[in-house]
Amino acid sequence: MMERLPEPAGLLLDRSEPVAFSFEGRRYQGFRGDTVASALAANDVTVLSRSFKYHRARGIHSLSGLDANTLVQVGPAPNRFADREPLAAGLVVTGQNYWGTLRHDRMAVFGLLHRFFPAGFYYKAFYKPRWTWPLWARMIRRIAGLGSVDTAAPHGYFDKQYLFCDVLVVGGGAAGLAAASQAAAAGAEVVLVDENAALGGALLHGRFDAGGVRTADTRTALAGEVEADERISVMTETACLGWYADNWLPLVRGNRLYKLRTKALVVATGCLEQPLVFRNNDLPGVMLASAAQRLIKLYGVRPGRRAVVATASDDGYGAALDLLDAGVEVAAVVDLRTDAPRSGVGDALAARRVPVHAGAAPWEAVPQRKGPGIARVRVAKIVEDGVCAPTVDSFTCDLLVVSGGQAPAAALLRQAGAAIAYDSRRQTTRIDALPAGVFAAGGVVGAAGLDGVIADGRRAGWQAAAHAGLDAGPEPAAAPDGDAPATAKGVWPIFPHPDHKAFVDFDEDVQVHDLEDAIAEGYDHVELLKRFTTNGMGPSQGRHSSLNAVRVLARATARSVDETGATTVRQPIVPVTMGHLAGRSFEPVRYTAMHFRHLEAGATMMPAGLWLRPEYYGEPARRQALIREEAKNVRDNVGIIDVSTLGGLDVRGPDAAEFMNRMYTFAYLKQPVGRSRYVLMTDLGGVVVDDGVACRMHEDHFYVTATTSGVDNVYREMLWYNAQWRLKVDVSNVTAALAGVNIAGPNCRAVLETLCDDVDISPEGFPYMGVREGHVAGIPALFLRVGFVGELGYELHVPASQGEALWDALLEAGRAHGIRPFGVEAQRLLRLEKGHIIIGQDTDGLTTPHEADMAWALAKKKPFHVGIRSVRMQAEKGLTRRLVGFEMPGVGVEQPKECHLVIREGEITGRVTSVAYSPNLDRIIGLAYVAPDQGEPGTRIEIRVDGGRMVSATVAKLPFFDPDGARQEL
Amino acid sequence: MAFGLLKYGLSRRRPVKRFLSARPELRPSYDVAIIGGGGHGLATAYYLAAKHGVRNVAVFDKGWLGGGNTGRNTAIIRSNYLTPEGVAFYEESMRLYRGLSEELDFNILYSERGHFTLAHSDAAMRTSRWRAEVNKHLGVDSEVVGREELARLVPLLNMSDEVRHPVLGALYHPPGALARHDAVAWAYAGRAQELGVEIHTETEVTGINVENGRVTGLETTRGPVACGKAMQAVAGLSGQVARLAGFTLPIRTVPLQACVSLPLKPFLDPIIVSGSLHVYISQSDRGELVMGGATDPYPRYQTSSTLDFMEGLMAHILELFPFMSDVPVLRQWAGMTDMTPDFAPVMGLTPVENYYIDSGWGTWGFKATPVCGNRMAELIATGRVPELIQSFHLDRFRDFSLMGEKGAASVGH
Amino acid sequence: MKIMPCPLNGPRNIQEFICAGPVEPHPDPSRCSDDEWAEFVWLEENLAGVVREWWCHAATSYWFIAERNTVTDEILATYPADRVFSERVDFAPLALPEPPAPPEPPKAPAPPPPAEAAADTPAGDAPSDDALPLAPKETGG
Repeated sequence: MMERLPEPAGLLLDRSEPVAFSFEGRRYQGFRGDTVASALAANDVTVLSRSFKYHRARGIHSLSGLDANTLVQVGPAPNRFADREPLAAGLVVTGQNYWGTLRHDRMAVFGLLHRFFPAGFYYKAFYKPRWTWPLWARMIRRIAGLGSVDTAAPHGYFDKQYLFCDVLVVGGGAAGLAAASQAAAAGAEVVLVDENAALGGALLHGRFDAGGVRTADTRTALAGEVEADERISVMTETACLGWYADNWLPLVRGNRLYKLRTKALVVATGCLEQPLVFRNNDLPGVMLASAAQRLIKLYGVRPGRRAVVATASDDGYGAALDLLDAGVEVAAVVDLRTDAPRSGVGDALAARRVPVHAGAAPWEAVPQRKGPGIARVRVAKIVEDGVCAPTVDSFTCDLLVVSGGQAPAAALLRQAGAAIAYDSRRQTTRIDALPAGVFAAGGVVGAAGLDGVIADGRRAGWQAAAHAGLDAGPEPAAAPDGDAPATAKGVWPIFPHPDHKAFVDFDEDVQVHDLEDAIAEGYDHVELLKRFTTNGMGPSQGRHSSLNAVRVLARATARSVDETGATTVRQPIVPVTMGHLAGRSFEPVRYTAMHFRHLEAGATMMPAGLWLRPEYYGEPARRQALIREEAKNVRDNVGIIDVSTLGGLDVRGPDAAEFMNRMYTFAYLKQPVGRSRYVLMTDLGGVVVDDGVACRMHEDHFYVTATTSGVDNVYREMLWYNAQWRLKVDVSNVTAALAGVNIAGPNCRAVLETLCDDVDISPEGFPYMGVREGHVAGIPALFLRVGFVGELGYELHVPASQGEALWDALLEAGRAHGIRPFGVEAQRLLRLEKGHIIIGQDTDGLTTPHEADMAWALAKKKPFHVGIRSVRMQAEKGLTRRLVGFEMPGVGVEQPKECHLVIREGEITGRVTSVAYSPNLDRIIGLAYVAPDQGEPGTRIEIRVDGGRMVSATVAKLPFFDPDGARQEL
Repeated sequence: MAFGLLKYGLSRRRPVKRFLSARPELRPSYDVAIIGGGGHGLATAYYLAAKHGVRNVAVFDKGWLGGGNTGRNTAIIRSNYLTPEGVAFYEESMRLYRGLSEELDFNILYSERGHFTLAHSDAAMRTSRWRAEVNKHLGVDSEVVGREELARLVPLLNMSDEVRHPVLGALYHPPGALARHDAVAWAYAGRAQELGVEIHTETEVTGINVENGRVTGLETTRGPVACGKAMQAVAGLSGQVARLAGFTLPIRTVPLQACVSLPLKPFLDPIIVSGSLHVYISQSDRGELVMGGATDPYPRYQTSSTLDFMEGLMAHILELFPFMSDVPVLRQWAGMTDMTPDFAPVMGLTPVENYYIDSGWGTWGFKATPVCGNRMAELIATGRVPELIQSFHLDRFRDFSLMGEKGAASVGH
Repeated sequence: MKIMPCPLNGPRNIQEFICAGPVEPHPDPSRCSDDEWAEFVWLEENLAGVVREWWCHAATSYWFIAERNTVTDEILATYPADRVFSERVDFAPLALPEPPAPPEPPKAPAPPPPAEAAADTPAGDAPSDDALPLAPKETGG
């Protein structure tokens, strides 16, 4: 392991705590505070990954967790940024995207053959003859992708938290720190977010003065001020994923997703240092100036032994000084500018006798003969933008530090809707206008010089606090003059080479000539260029490549960069794992009051909307037999079923009957008190959407049932219509307030007789379709005499808190009468025997009442119900299908399944919607849609069952069982 | 190795031939003007020129080539619809798709993967069988598979009973495929241009001139043009453009979002859809997981992304594939879809003579691109509505002859 | 996430609300023409610009009206529905002829099917599958 630089270098390290980890199967050691990438750099490991297409060796580039060069596999997690991943004891890290070893990747042959694989090569080949393409496709797929998913990995734990504040500051650099302090001083509750382990931003690694002490001093002062302020919550190692409407910002720290709502946002995200484009600019050993400085200052790692610095601004000068201080020999500084203004760092460098080559560019990085790094750099004079003179100087080095200028890290601002323009003189983008509630400070809006940046931060913090409604006091002072360096003219950073390998986008191995070729082919819109070459579509999302691609496009099409445009910056700004977004699963489940009784009785539960209902009771192995036994027991003795999930709506008021008359298809104005009536609801288009019964409790009070999954919509629709009609009626959804039990079977009256003393349940006193109020086993209950299953039966609605007691009392009282609970499946069979439809199973998205043979449920003379005109218009048009009953022999015939098709002479005329074998009738019975002329009872229909076989069935009159209703009207 | 690439690689000077032509000057008159330079409009232009000899055609787009839903969809192609009309239509589209790389001499990366629509409830199983039976009746390869078979075919799928919505089975459609959406637009555009079609990008149509009930020309941001016939294919803005021609559509514009992961080594071959959970997921040839879900909860003309979409989508995907919790998501985006009441398109004739419409594609427009272009071209060239698209006419709403796709609408695309 | 300023519940995340489309007059089904009715049921103005819409706070089932720009997604105003709907609405007695008889009119009114019970989709995982949401959503792709 390489010796680390002495303190103060290695700011983030805790040198007292060594941390062992492995990379590519070899064991290494770093320190607590390291990232995987810095620890590997300290161990002289320079190759971290292989590139997407040509499998070129790649190493540290930005060291900021923002580029694909450092993507590694960490345990089961693919595609982790090694320069973002904190080092932890026992981490097992591997490289990605190679065949063989990371150092000797056999797939690197693609790099040698790169001439044959230009951008978009796959569009131009492999499809003739047609049968060859699937083979090629398989091969291309196999070599695509980066990290691997461990399909055996367990679901990690992730959770979420909401946060609220007056002012959120994103970016903990000089501007952000100043903004946070200023906003807090105005009384704002502030959250300050930074992705790094320590506050300071560029103050952590940058060098703005010759002595190199000012950044550290400023950082200590500003960060100290922030950390001492109790109004400021500091969140380091926290990534802001993006801006969403109304200042809603997701933040990720550890395994938690914070969703923060802020009144005002200050974006102080600074700039992203941009690379230079030249031949072999992607070799390990070529890195951004800020990356080299981070290695030194944050991690105490000497980035090389002998360096060349190539820069388009003063930034490289600061880096060169830092390199010298870290004991790196600086062979030369190559300044792309010819007219660089004099600066403190420049003078300091001259004093240390580092040769500066002005008006020159790195023309080529020459790779090592053996090994992945660079051997030397060839430098040439710039003749004009992007063109160099033929003669070159050559410098031996193992480190090439590059700085192609700064681009604002403006993703958040762009998502928030800021207007962005391109400053062609400075060759960088510029923020022109900000949306309300969003403020920007520092480098991201072009503030220059440390004093200027700090003053800009205070100004933004002040504005944000004022926007949040706080009395922010007088505007803070502007920056003193003289600190800001003269804004230099930007320089062209792209130097294509006749032998290629000048990479614009490292993620996707896009070279300058790839872009030029694509433009020449006509992909000359910024979006087409991106999509055709995939420039900017990789893991770095164009942070280091989009601007250069636009420059190439602008030049090739003789337009300005502004005219050429930019691609959209999408969320998330940095990749976020699916687990963070998902968090913990909170899928609601509703239990009825009797839920645990069902479980105790061995019920298999099935979903019904949000609810769970008993499907049947007993051993799953005996499912079919149990369902039949339950059904038979209802026909022979008595059964009970939990119907609590049924929707319940209370409609009260002088206009209650009028309201019912408008919402449902039947007539309700003259419905007698104490009686129930069927309800059928259609939507505006005349499609059947719900049913139930309406009980007239009083002249001005209906209790209406609705289907389990339909009740919420029905309730909402009722309120919506009455918001327009303004009838004197009030509707409440009482579903959750009530538990319900249906007791049915010839013995049910005998059971109830033992439990009721205030309701006359004799056939005369309580006829079919009657409604009564009274008590069962002392529990206040609403009694509905109904017959969905076709037997004598009562539905008992009681307060939900009494549901379990009711259930127990009925079972106890019914023991002598052979009572047993029955589940949804038995009920489905019983109702099918009666020919009753289930909305949603026997109807679909277009079923009209006439098609469902429910014209009897349409009141003929009323002026209105929802959808009335649509129902009538469709009835006038005539039917195209109708729902009928059908039957088949119980033995020797293959039973169709629901949704098997009814076929006539090769044409589909309908489908089966419900079907079952009825042990009671010893026949297969069912409901099916058929053509209108197939509806007469006795008509033979053909149904195609599994395997394409055809079976015959006969259209039957409904109901199949007890056609006179004698049993239910007992 | 493919010959073309070899030639390209070996030549000293890179033989770059312009494939997409530069935008020409606007001419005063065209036989056919097509509004919308996405897949559908470009395909129509291509088939007009290639199959019907109608070459005096101009395509107008207010943005860039294929920049609407063509460049934003998740490129799933299938024909396992519910109505016989829908199935026949999409089956023809798949037939055209399979030969498209050869026909257009441009690899659209058509890749058959198999398509599974998961069922989490008895109701969903019933709908799956309904679709399968209709599909098989029309010769489409489609079958309901139960839990065991599904576990064998997609071993990565979480078949646990311990989740909120256990998987009961699936509708399996082996020919379900993916293709490169941009390539489809580019290929149609390039070949149409070779046949004389003009493509006017960044040229917005601001008015449609109708005289005596008949279209006569367009107003554009680059000036007026006369035309004999015109068609609109502007998903997301269909209602706006139709209003320029003076009629109203049964369409609401609703955003639809999607996202991709970072590239991963291939592990998920088929396309997995769950209507109940409102998710779909596939892995592209680049290795990215392409994921999407339900349309946004309220209509708007906007393509901004939301966080709640991502949260809901990922929660459901992880229920199906719990091991993906460490997979990083790279990028999310949105498109604007035309939603119709019956989840079927609106195409064919309009109240304006010689003005044709191609709209209402909801979330399934990409998979219809070739057949739509092909039959719309036939309609424009001959004036007769091809049988395959007759049931999608606008007038079906007037007489309540809606298509039945709604019955299985949200089972996913 | 966007914030919807609910007239009853104050500012809440828009996820808690349901949009039910533009506020528009319902034609009287007894008096309008077939075409007017079909247009009302199926056609959409689908305006790009400021629309006046019905919104419902799902948790409280509170209906109100919002003015919203469908292009910028800005919510410009929200207010209770009675600001627009202040008068009772009644429908005129039936003006249409009786509808034609259904194909097979029941001789006697069929016994009204009794209470639901299973009469709900046993697995109606709305808004998907066969369950019929009033405002169905579509899974994209």
